[in-house]
Amino acid sequence: MDCRSTQVLFYLNDAVTQLLDHKEEYTQFGLVRYFAEYFSSVKNSNHVLFRELSYIRATQHNRASFIRVFWRCFRQIGKSGDLLSVPEYRSLLQLLCPDFPLEAVQSASRIVLADDASDGLMSFSDFIYSFQLQFCYQEFLDSIQVIYQDLLAGKSPNTVIVPTSSSVEQLVSVATEESDREEQQQDVVDSSTLAECVDALCERFKHSYPSRTCLREVLEQTDKVSYYGFLQSLANHESINQTIGALPSKEELLIDPEMDQELDKLIAQISVSPGSNSSGSAIGGLKEVQRRASPRRNIHHRRKMEVESDGSTEETDSSEN
Amino acid sequence: MADKEKRRSAALPSGMSSGKVVKSDSDREFLEQAGVGDLLRGAILKMVEARSDDPIGFLADHFCNLASVTDSGTAGCGDEDQQQQQQSTGLAGAGAHEQQRLNRALWHLRLAHHSQRSAFSNNVCVAYDLLNLNGCLSQASENPEGPDGSLLVVPPDAKGSGGVKGGLYMQTLECLCSEGGVPASTSAPLLRRLCCQDHEAVPYDVFRHGVLTCAVFSDYIRQAQRLYAEVCCPDEGPASRALCSAVLGTLKEALETSQDCDANCFVNANTKSSACLEANAKAIRYLEASAKISPHKLAQAMAGAQTSGPGGNMDAKEFENAAADLFIARVKVVS
Repeated sequence: MDCRSTQVLFYLNDAVTQLLDHKEEYTQFGLVRYFAEYFSSVKNSNHVLFRELSYIRATQHNRASFIRVFWRCFRQIGKSGDLLSVPEYRSLLQLLCPDFPLEAVQSASRIVLADDASDGLMSFSDFIYSFQLQFCYQEFLDSIQVIYQDLLAGKSPNTVIVPTSSSVEQLVSVATEESDREEQQQDVVDSSTLAECVDALCERFKHSYPSRTCLREVLEQTDKVSYYGFLQSLANHESINQTIGALPSKEELLIDPEMDQELDKLIAQISVSPGSNSSGSAIGGLKEVQRRASPRRNIHHRRKMEVESDGSTEETDSSEN
Repeated sequence: MADKEKRRSAALPSGMSSGKVVKSDSDREFLEQAGVGDLLRGAILKMVEARSDDPIGFLADHFCNLASVTDSGTAGCGDEDQQQQQQSTGLAGAGAHEQQRLNRALWHLRLAHHSQRSAFSNNVCVAYDLLNLNGCLSQASENPEGPDGSLLVVPPDAKGSGGVKGGLYMQTLECLCSEGGVPASTSAPLLRRLCCQDHEAVPYDVFRHGVLTCAVFSDYIRQAQRLYAEVCCPDEGPASRALCSAVLGTLKEALETSQDCDANCFVNANTKSSACLEANAKAIRYLEASAKISPHKLAQAMAGAQTSGPGGNMDAKEFENAAADLFIARVKVVS
């Protein structure tokens, strides 16, 4: 209840802040209806669209809602089978959240591609599950990385501290031991040792983390595990996905009969060239979301363009990228 | 762009770590004038009272309800409210208002689980008040002096005493059961035991007893369904009759052990006569009863059944009905 009441206070705070920022608009709309709208949209996970990053990251519910919105808007891209790069995914994310940072997208891509190269191409399905893990459990993953580096460096698991990611450099510079040389070269650690450390981390960790059962399950599957291998297994773990509750299972990820119908209609109406299909899906995705527009969302949208949502303004939006 | 900057800087301090947003004087004035403080205070008080499992959902519903009450036009939020609004602007004004009150009462009853006794009791109170026809709550009370049955459906004899109309009470119970996942056929015998006539005025303790019984019954049936799922392997068809009988037998034993305390519990719910001694005796009986239904006991019963007992199979529905019978047999008939 404690965590939930903090969340409630956060949303109340934000509701009042938003109200103050748009006094005239919302007073006309009516105060009671404004709060009704606000909390309904929070309840229905429609509240994060076009909001700033700090708001989206502030609660677990917001993060999950953002993943869900991203999925609903852009799953058509998945259907078309396009492979996109990190900057391209970032652009899509920026359509939904103007100040979305590149690093988060890069971190997600590293889970998919299991190396540092940020110029690889990823499928929508691969990207979104890794992105979900990264975005929802960022603090946890950062701590895991520190632990992992510790273990690689040969430090005894009993002395693992859990600092913030800024002190990673300090730990890595600790003198390494001669043992486990082979493991270091392959960049893997002993799974059971890692499992112990992860368990210890969960005991005192203040942010969200995936269920301990799932974590243990993943680590029991192999004797040795690499950092990105571990993360990949977590990203693709169905229980973890269901707990977050934002995305369907992999098989159902690209199913979207309503949008299929809409697109068929659109395609029938406009003249089709090979390039316009994928941009059409992005537009269509946004259109679907904006059909459920409220005065609140329109205000954010209006800051980019003058008029209330219709087809012409959306085309302007995507061409601004 | 400048606007976005301003929005971002205003929103940043309202992160979870800091609770306060620095507001200017004009902002404070605006909030005061608009009555935001009172509005939010009222909402938070209600939320704390109800102790819902889902505070955000509660607030959403609360404000939507409020909006539909104060607005003359469409509320524009939850679907429920839109339906209610459309209903109440129709011709059957009184019937629609009653439906609206029923919906709101049910919403209150859903907020807290019956195991959270004080929160649940609170909510039952609120629901009772909502449904209680004293003639003062109805918004559409155009002509209370009018001919009987025209707008207010309370017959003359029930007006003075106050109480929930029997028909409304039964509707509440039916909705509670069906929302709890109990099929109508299973809950029918229970409802017959709790039945009140349409014209009767239902006093508070009867109302509370009925609501609590239905809430517990819904949970019980769900557990029975789960129990059957454990006993039965879906691939192999319906479960063996012997096994099911054994399980049901164990359940019956457990219920019988607790029977005395159940009866006392409901009867004495609203009197202050539960002495400390009686409370202890109740606790002991509950412990005994739960011991009877422990996994160990169940396993014993099931192992015994596999070697002897009736042949044939029992399907899910039959099991559910049998379990329901065990429960219903213990429910006091309302006279």
